[in-house]
Amino acid sequence: MMFESLLIVAGGLLGSSHCVGMCGGFVLALGGSSGRHGMLTRQLLYGFGRVFTYVCLGAAAGFAGWRMSASLRTLLDVQAWLCIAAGVLLIGQGLHSLGLLPLGRLTTSRAGCLGPPLFGSLLGATRARSVFLGGVINGLLPCGLVYGYLALAGSSGGLLGGMTVMALFGLGTVPVLALVGCGGGLMSLTSRGRLMKAAAVCVVLTGVLTIGRGAVFLTSSTQEPGAACPLCSNVQ
Amino acid sequence: MLKSSPTCCSFCGLPLRNEDERTSAFSRLRLGDSPSAKPQAAAADEDSQPLYCCFGCRFAAGVTRSGGEQGAAGWSLTCLGVSIFLSMNVMVFTMALWTQDFYGPDAADPTSTLLRGLFRHLALLFALPVLLLLGWPLFDSAVQGMTRGVYSTDLLLLLGVLASYLYSVASVIRDAGPVYFEVGCMVLVLLTLGRWLEATGRLRTREAVESLQRLLPERVRCLRDGVEVMLPAAELQIGDEVRVLPGERVACDGVVLHHPATLDEQMLTGESRPIIKEIGDPVYGGTLNLESDFVLRATAIPGQGTLGRIVELVENAGRTKGRYERLTDRVSTIFLPLVVVVAFTATTFHALRGGIDSGILAGLAVLVIACPCALGLATPMAVWTALGTAARSGVLFRSGEAIETLADVRTVLFDKTGTLTTGEPVVAEFVLHASEDAVSVLHEASRLAAGSNHVFSRAIRRFAGNAATTEQSVHTRPGRGLFSVRSDGDNSYLGSPQLMEEANLLAEGEASCAIREAMDGGQPLTCVGWAGAVRGVFVFREDLRPGAVEAVTALCQLGVEVRVLTGDHRRRAAVIAETLGVPVEGELLPADKLRAVDEARRHGPTAMVGDGVNDAPALMRSDVGVALGCGADVTRDCAAVCLPGDDLLRLPWAVELARRTVRVIRGNLFWAMVYNVIGIAIACSGSLSPVFAAFAMVVSSFLVVTNSLRLRDGVESQRFGEVSLNADRPGG
Repeated sequence: MMFESLLIVAGGLLGSSHCVGMCGGFVLALGGSSGRHGMLTRQLLYGFGRVFTYVCLGAAAGFAGWRMSASLRTLLDVQAWLCIAAGVLLIGQGLHSLGLLPLGRLTTSRAGCLGPPLFGSLLGATRARSVFLGGVINGLLPCGLVYGYLALAGSSGGLLGGMTVMALFGLGTVPVLALVGCGGGLMSLTSRGRLMKAAAVCVVLTGVLTIGRGAVFLTSSTQEPGAACPLCSNVQ
Repeated sequence: MLKSSPTCCSFCGLPLRNEDERTSAFSRLRLGDSPSAKPQAAAADEDSQPLYCCFGCRFAAGVTRSGGEQGAAGWSLTCLGVSIFLSMNVMVFTMALWTQDFYGPDAADPTSTLLRGLFRHLALLFALPVLLLLGWPLFDSAVQGMTRGVYSTDLLLLLGVLASYLYSVASVIRDAGPVYFEVGCMVLVLLTLGRWLEATGRLRTREAVESLQRLLPERVRCLRDGVEVMLPAAELQIGDEVRVLPGERVACDGVVLHHPATLDEQMLTGESRPIIKEIGDPVYGGTLNLESDFVLRATAIPGQGTLGRIVELVENAGRTKGRYERLTDRVSTIFLPLVVVVAFTATTFHALRGGIDSGILAGLAVLVIACPCALGLATPMAVWTALGTAARSGVLFRSGEAIETLADVRTVLFDKTGTLTTGEPVVAEFVLHASEDAVSVLHEASRLAAGSNHVFSRAIRRFAGNAATTEQSVHTRPGRGLFSVRSDGDNSYLGSPQLMEEANLLAEGEASCAIREAMDGGQPLTCVGWAGAVRGVFVFREDLRPGAVEAVTALCQLGVEVRVLTGDHRRRAAVIAETLGVPVEGELLPADKLRAVDEARRHGPTAMVGDGVNDAPALMRSDVGVALGCGADVTRDCAAVCLPGDDLLRLPWAVELARRTVRVIRGNLFWAMVYNVIGIAIACSGSLSPVFAAFAMVVSSFLVVTNSLRLRDGVESQRFGEVSLNADRPGG
């Protein structure tokens, strides 16, 4: 479990290079305005806003997964199948980042009428609460990587488990994005590309591990699904 | 820049609904209020307080207005952002409570009891600000709407949300019973988001028209007393001379002075094509100067010329209600009271069955899902978008109803002269009698022709090179031609062969051959003669407009029956029929044309395409009148559709756009009604959580908005190029 947690953090850490590609513009916009708070403070506030959102989403995912498994316990091993589904999603996302699996863009470019005005004003703001809120909204934006990890959170078997998974992931994404926002261009394009590849591999690995866990659940069907996860002990 | 007129929303610029347009039972209850009083009151308020058509626009205005200065986020936005943050917390607390509840309250375990109490109080703490931040503006907006006679479910919704809050607070205080804070929070957040989405969508429907308005530059080069000054366009007066450089847009309607100019009139015609304007030709505000600088004399102030009239036409078109919108209004009239009754019934039923909280939730779910936002948006959004798209492409619909009727059209009747043909005949043949001198005959003919504005006279003068300019006492004999006194005392005549006969002018030799041939072939002709003989014969040719054949073919391919009506000789009609490939009825008097329209209407909706002036009766008789050749005078009343660019190919395009629009309207309406009916049914049964209902509502609005905005695409003409005069280039 410890290994898996580390892997999630690493996925977030390295996955943030993917984030830089998608959301780098936002953190750079943050840096554009001057204000009472320092640049780093603003970046961190923004990052924590995102992490807050991820944790909430993780809680929802974990809860939903737990509820599904609780109510469908007799029908099928929901947790096992959630693990497998999560693993597939993560592998798919990772392979997509590696360029091996062409999928459509998950973000809708056409109809995001709310995005620009909501976002723009919050990003350009100088007040602490606006920056934080900007991060909160950013976390709600569609992102394939986040969905993959949300699926993992769903398979974790409970509220706390889901929150933990997403907290780990979110915290992993904060350093790199904050640095990018501060420095603007810490990494060259080639090293960023390599980092993205490494991140993708991490994500794929996590996916494989998750499928493995799901398979274990399936085969040992007599075992209580939640028991294998130490994070969920309070649920029992 | 949005026009703020008293009957328009200050944010999206679209018409405000007032009690004139609704015949809801509630408005009849208000005694002592005459319908005419309301718009006046709105006008009085215009300066003091902006009016909005709905809560969404109010919210969106709050976002865009107070944002932007030094990057401060608007109050509305902060409210929403904070509410989202708080609601997410409430959701997490609630889910924790649900997890606990699943295993049953365990009184023996002090930790779990403590946690339970903690979470309940935390939920309360985080949920109350949301009620204040989002609930208050909703309440305020609903009350304001009521004073204008516009009723919506908003107030009832708020009541339901408040009820759920009160119940939950009571539960926390009593330390027993379930809490439903997440319901209140999520409903408020989603409601606000949904309304904002609609307001933004409505704003987007105006994009096309706004892009037209933005074509006018803000500063102009005015020549005053020979000195060139840069003025704000608003200070321009009629009669001022304005210099326009290449690449700039013309600021106002005017007349070309000094040198010819080459302009792109895409804003009028929808197509980018250089048009040469000679001295004295009119130019229109918003057109693009292509090649060299020129000077114009202003004939209208900016914004009140052609462009202003087009914009006004489109905006007025958006205010009239078509068939579908009237249907929706009728449905809405009974819908609102029905929903109220159903909600109360559901509340009572479920309250009696499962406790007050079940009742509140059921009633709230009904109210949320029954919110007729999608229904109210379904038609207008599609129509407004289509109007804007059409206007940008050189097709002006006078109303939404015109779009709907054009979509259903089964037959299109064309008038020939001036519609399918350019209306400006050219001299194809000039036949002289015996050994006459061409120059003197031409001179005499054009002298006579100068006395009339008839198309044939103009053609003759063009043919003669516009040489003669003096027109001394040229008289007209109606239906026959012109005559005048020559220098040698004799009368000379210019006109039809009948006029020649009546004036005892004989046609001989080649002249008589030419006359006979022309009449056999159905070609129009004019003779000129004096002193007992016809001296010359002009045979005319009328060219079809460019694109006429393609337009007719395209219409046929759309499944529309096309026929041509003309007063021309039957043989001429046959020639045209062969060129176009459609039946042509010839030798029709104006009354016959009306009869033809009536005949066609028996088979289905009929469109008549003609010149807005000469064919006015026929245009009015048809279901949809399409006016060509009105040029820039787009305010002619008789035609439902106006093609200011005189481009016939716009007509099949317009028919296709109309059909697409009606498909979108039907799709929107179907979805909105089905979703409402099914949703209400599920909500009544008590199985629908208000949170899911709110999600469904947002998704529904989103779908209607997106579906309607699809009509913005499909415009094959190029986008306008924007050249701003404001960028101060060095050297002017």
